Amino acid sequence: MNDIASFAIRFIAIGFAVAMFAMNLAVVLTWVDRRQGAMIQDRVGPNRAVAWLPTPIAQGLALGPAVLLAVGVLGYVYTHEVTGPEVESRGLLFSQLAVLLLWLTGCVIASQVKARGPKSSFDLWIQSLGEPRFIFFGGLVAHVALFVLSLMLRDGKGGETFAAVTSTAGPALFAFAALAGAGYAAFSIRKEKRIGLRLAGLLHPAADGLKTLFKEDFVPPNADKFLFNLAPFISFFPALVVLACVPFADTLCFATDASGKIQLGQLASSVPRVGVCTEGALKIQVVDLNIGILYFFAIAGTGIVGAALAGWASDNKYSLLGGLRAASQMVSYEVTMGLTMIGMIMVYGTLQVDKMILWQQENTWGVFAQPLAFVLFFTAAVAESKRIPFDIPEGESEIVAGYFTEYAGMKFAMFFFAEYIAVVTASALMAAVFFGGWSLPFVFRDGIHVSLAGTPLFDIALPHGGVVALGAIGFILKTIVLCWLQLTIRWTLPRFRYDQLMRLGWRNLLPASLANILLTGFVVMAIRTAGPGMESVMAVLSNVCNLVLALGGLGLLVWFAVFMSTPRKRKQILATSSAQYAAEVGGTRSLRMGA
Amino acid sequence: MTVNTKSLGPRKVSGVPVARSQRGAGVQTYIPEVARGMVIVMKHFFQNTKEMALGQRNDPVLESIEEGINTVSYPEQRRPYPTRFRGLHRLTHRDDGSPRCVACLCCSTACPAQCIHIEAGEYPEGDPKRGYERFPKRFVIDELRCVFCGFCVEACPCDAIRMDTGMHAAPYDSRDQFIFEKDLLMNFPGRDGSFATANPRHEPGEPSHPGIDRVHGH
Repeated sequence: MNDIASFAIRFIAIGFAVAMFAMNLAVVLTWVDRRQGAMIQDRVGPNRAVAWLPTPIAQGLALGPAVLLAVGVLGYVYTHEVTGPEVESRGLLFSQLAVLLLWLTGCVIASQVKARGPKSSFDLWIQSLGEPRFIFFGGLVAHVALFVLSLMLRDGKGGETFAAVTSTAGPALFAFAALAGAGYAAFSIRKEKRIGLRLAGLLHPAADGLKTLFKEDFVPPNADKFLFNLAPFISFFPALVVLACVPFADTLCFATDASGKIQLGQLASSVPRVGVCTEGALKIQVVDLNIGILYFFAIAGTGIVGAALAGWASDNKYSLLGGLRAASQMVSYEVTMGLTMIGMIMVYGTLQVDKMILWQQENTWGVFAQPLAFVLFFTAAVAESKRIPFDIPEGESEIVAGYFTEYAGMKFAMFFFAEYIAVVTASALMAAVFFGGWSLPFVFRDGIHVSLAGTPLFDIALPHGGVVALGAIGFILKTIVLCWLQLTIRWTLPRFRYDQLMRLGWRNLLPASLANILLTGFVVMAIRTAGPGMESVMAVLSNVCNLVLALGGLGLLVWFAVFMSTPRKRKQILATSSAQYAAEVGGTRSLRMGA
Repeated sequence: MTVNTKSLGPRKVSGVPVARSQRGAGVQTYIPEVARGMVIVMKHFFQNTKEMALGQRNDPVLESIEEGINTVSYPEQRRPYPTRFRGLHRLTHRDDGSPRCVACLCCSTACPAQCIHIEAGEYPEGDPKRGYERFPKRFVIDELRCVFCGFCVEACPCDAIRMDTGMHAAPYDSRDQFIFEKDLLMNFPGRDGSFATANPRHEPGEPSHPGIDRVHGH
């Protein structure tokens, strides 16, 4: 009985969290699609929704989380003493975090001061440090210096002192940085009457969602009322529940006391590199089905019914055409999706997504094992979500709005939202199957181990909670990047014609996926029969892939840093009296994204 | 019968033949072009998002020839009107803060839209200005009726009414809010922030006063 209750609680809690993840990411995606879609056309995009806050509340919103964070960190660190190697990892973690927060705060303040001019002696001091990007460069130097210092001092007397200093001063500096940044923000807005909260335009999709709730719920007079009302739910529901089979992070291990009882308040401090803890294990996944990925396809396939029903029940020719198009398109591309996945299943030897991720952690990302499968799957997944360039079921120029022509208000929003959620879920599945899910290159359950062909190059132990959190962040980042890739495709490509779509699905993608299965079969067979020599070659290959990934990731970070900190030179033209007036008042007041 | 075959068939055309575009695998699969398009999209995306997030976007008025986002986010950002823009009216002040208007009704006469209403008042007995000029008891402009032709400004002999505020009528929610009374019209400063005009006024009785008045006589 107790087991069932705890299972139910776990199921509901994680299920709720996952559904919230998908829906919130879909809201953010709506925002990205509108706001960032405007960016590529050199427009600002919708950001008019604003919540006006009285200054004291805004100050509280700035200070509250910072105080909570500072007190929490300090309280945790000074009540939980650690010994041995954990001192070092704690020192490293908090000193790096503190440096990160310090330069971030410094950069934000400096750019604010630069934008509106100095107002206090502190502003003048910040301004004397130079451009905001110099603070950023200083931060980078500090990051690297701390890291190098910790490596150099590692195996000596100095190492212990260094670890002791960083593990006590790091958290304090972190708390100071958080409080200082929030304090400055609260101080600098003290004279404002009210503060507009726009969240970079994120309130706009929220306001739109709220608006759809209050719109007229129109049902066409001759429509099949029951099916008409049912269809949006049928399309919305599967999009939400498919994520149940995707794990969001590594299995979390809780500590057990002497009698073997699980202590929910405390995580296991460190776990072995291989194997999953048997006691106190919590899978960050709604259900661990043994059919795993088949569940995804089974449920995702029912989404077709919603679109087809909506088209049929609306009593509208355009809707009917849209519904038929949606059904045929989704059925066609479902085939390719399933067949490409068979190649992955042959490589991984399992249907369960978490075991696939474990395989990828031990070897390398699935996209290296099956590049063709990824391209095919990605194309099919974009087509599955019925979005540009595959938005034939709702082709505005041909059939008004396709299968949801007759829908208004929240029911329309549900179709609309289901599409975005389908993007999120497809991205999450692709991240899990092709991009290692929560596994990161060289990050294992007990820490970071870099090795090439069996020779260890670099080792550092990390606490269990940290590794799991890192994995979860990695998974979410991968999902976001894949979502963004789908959006970029949407922003770039024009719509296919219907026959082109069918030809692509049946005559190109389907044969390619069949060929992929055949090829994978031969290769897998060859590797399995080749014996241990081949295995070691494959191990080196996967190491090389991981190394490329890690170096590529670092290179991307460096590129990003350089890109963000390079200012652009612009030419001012004062030809008109308008421009002269604008120049006199110091330029047209330029707006940030948030304001 | 012989047919001149030379006159039939295609005529010879001189010129350089244009090579047909190659339709190799790259063109047929679209993939290289799709990739190229996505690179362009991403370039705009990253550049513009970065500049928006860091508050480094172009000044839409001063730097509008540059690449990037040049949208004017009205009302937070405004493009200043050019110098000769005819905006909302203002009534200029004398040194003592009273209106320069002498209620001669030239402007309301010149107004093709008949949007100016003036009630003239006489100065009290004994005032040096009495009999020389009058003052507006009421000066009302219906800004909805106004066609912003500027005839009133041209007609005014005293430079008392000007349209150099550089402001347009804000969108109010009822018609009576567009009917601007004297107090409001006197509250708008000019583009330079002053309530006076560049033309000095010489009050009757002052030595610099060029004209004729009761005190100086003929």
